[in-house]
Amino acid sequence: MPSMKPTKTPMPTLDAQQRRRSFDEVALGYTPELAAEEAARCLDCKNPKCVEGCPVNINIPAFIRALKNNDTNGAYSVISASSGLPAVCGRVCPQESQCESRCVRGIKGEPVSIGALERYAADSHAAANPKPPAKPTPSGYRVAVVGSGPASLSCAADLAKAGHGVTVFEALHQPGGVLVYGIPQFRLPKDIVKREIASLQALGVEIQTNSVIGKTYTVDDLFSMGYHAVFIGTGAGLPRFLGVPGEALKGVFSANEFLTRSNLMKAYQKDSHTPIMHARRVCVVGGGNVAMDAARTALRLGAEEVTVVYRRGEEELPARREEVHHAKEEGITFRFLTAPLAVLGYENTENPRDPQNGWVRALRCEQMTLGEPDASGRRSPVPLPDSAFEIETDAVIVAVGTGPNPLIRTTTGGIAFNRRGGIEIDEETGATTRAGVFAGGDTVSGAATVILAMGAGKKAARGICAYLKTL
Amino acid sequence: MFKIVGKEALNETVVKMTVLAPAVAAKAQAGQFIILRPNEDSERIPLTVADYDRTAGTVTIIFQIVGETTMELNAKAQGEFLCDFVGPLGKPTELDGISRALVVGGGVGCAIALPVAKALHAAGCAVTAVTGFRSKDLVILQDEFKSISDRLFTVTDDGTYGEKGNVCMPLERLLQTEKFDHVFAIGPLVMMKFVVKTAKPFDLPCTVSMNPIMIDGTGMCGGCRLTVGGQTRFACVDGPDFDGYAVDFDEAMSRGAMYRTFEQAAREHACNLLQKEGK
Repeated sequence: MPSMKPTKTPMPTLDAQQRRRSFDEVALGYTPELAAEEAARCLDCKNPKCVEGCPVNINIPAFIRALKNNDTNGAYSVISASSGLPAVCGRVCPQESQCESRCVRGIKGEPVSIGALERYAADSHAAANPKPPAKPTPSGYRVAVVGSGPASLSCAADLAKAGHGVTVFEALHQPGGVLVYGIPQFRLPKDIVKREIASLQALGVEIQTNSVIGKTYTVDDLFSMGYHAVFIGTGAGLPRFLGVPGEALKGVFSANEFLTRSNLMKAYQKDSHTPIMHARRVCVVGGGNVAMDAARTALRLGAEEVTVVYRRGEEELPARREEVHHAKEEGITFRFLTAPLAVLGYENTENPRDPQNGWVRALRCEQMTLGEPDASGRRSPVPLPDSAFEIETDAVIVAVGTGPNPLIRTTTGGIAFNRRGGIEIDEETGATTRAGVFAGGDTVSGAATVILAMGAGKKAARGICAYLKTL
Repeated sequence: MFKIVGKEALNETVVKMTVLAPAVAAKAQAGQFIILRPNEDSERIPLTVADYDRTAGTVTIIFQIVGETTMELNAKAQGEFLCDFVGPLGKPTELDGISRALVVGGGVGCAIALPVAKALHAAGCAVTAVTGFRSKDLVILQDEFKSISDRLFTVTDDGTYGEKGNVCMPLERLLQTEKFDHVFAIGPLVMMKFVVKTAKPFDLPCTVSMNPIMIDGTGMCGGCRLTVGGQTRFACVDGPDFDGYAVDFDEAMSRGAMYRTFEQAAREHACNLLQKEGK
């Protein structure tokens, strides 16, 4: 008998006052009892709407059915048939605009907590220390995968399972892409990423760090080296700045820089060898998940005041609802309908040696109002005249979006790119205009989500397998 | 892991290290740099490629022991390994169309000036080199410069070697009395700022090599951003060479000092550790 409880079984969470200075994971995960309670809310619909809402069409009712029978391995098998990174997606997917937004339970009450159940299934499976799958017979083909974020990891896994020899080339010294440099520890523990990478290696995938494709090797080199196909999953790591005066002042960071220092280089740790600014007051400009991550990281580094400055209203915030909720609980202030005009710095004209010279002093902003919808469908922000004001601050973190890194584009021939610098691909196969070269994830679409990247990686793996058969 | 196949102290604070990194050696060109981490928990730091041997698969770096990470680097012996070593990063120096070059190197910046001078010389260019150091003890690479330049002028601040003064003195003299196509200036920011100032009235191109703080080195964070001609440029992908006349040096100097307090504490800590290990 399904449970007709209208509300979700709450996710155990670290107390907000406690967690705001800690990098421990905030969401603690369901216990078996809580998972059973929540799984019972699923009606196992004959025409499951949730599946349509999932970018990779995970058979959600089937995995929840397995959980109702305490079969976490069965649940995991269902999920991993469609998703390469269940433990990650369960934590970071914007379920409120995907699966859970379609759940019929959400009509009269709250949807089933599909994300929390996915996480539970993935974590339980991992805790049971499963034996790594047997390596398949080698096909004799070799594929080079460029980048090691979600798109590449998923592509590499599927190619390896099909018996192809895969080498992943990663520019940084640690694989994982955004999973490691972008998403903080308190949202996605790095142990989980390490686990995914280890299972990839257990499948026979070789990972070569410190390899920048476009510099250390070009795509042409990869073919000369004997790879039969190449997958480009280099993401969208190029930071956008505001283009307002004062962005070169000390204390202004792109969110990428701030998060890379904290997450990848572990600058949040007391004995870290990489510095990071521990600012007392911080303004984060932007409204997406990256802005939330930057704000919550700044708080954990000891900030007394963290303000998110967003030019549209709360309804328009692109960030995952859970992140916004957690940020508010942690005491982060939101200033909506506010846009930056300039970063102001200290300038002691009487004492050029004043150590404060050149540091951020304030963020000059103006109030906005929402006008007609723009091309993205969101109401566009319109400045209110004579509404300029200053927010006193010590640091400004710019989290207004990222674009594809131009390195591949400027060093590889035969590949078509769109106006925004994203690689053009065949939507069915992931193939670029150059034979044997495939692409997927943020490098194609611009900054998006882990699950979309992962789906694109899987699709390209199918495309590559089909292509290899033609050789 | 990248093996250290050669290590030599050039003076009390400057070390020349050769690392086995065949992929980097195969592609490296003058003006480019690498990023390395001595240990698993080290910071990432950029260092210019001082030389490379494509056959042997080695890359040579010359660094000054100035902070924690360079101390960690110096603590490694020949035969030991560096945790990470990536490159070649940045754009190679543009050498086309130059027939009479003036290459000015300051301090350990001479190690960066050397591959540029060498490449110009190999391309058939007439190279006049000016190197400057604080004092005799710090003078490096004189033989190397002599072998690839037509003339070498060396100055020291205290006059203990060569002419007394700074690099702008022979530079000014040379610019006033002879014709050059291009000036290259590599060294401390304040030195490059004044070389550019000195060269400006003579109306010839001046390239500087910028060395801001970097993290990834591939264009993903903007930490190394500079203002060049009023535009934002990333030193790691648009540089490290830039038009000297367009660079905002004061801003670069300010940004370069961002982590002084942290760096000082880290250096003291590393010093103490090394002293303990020594005992």
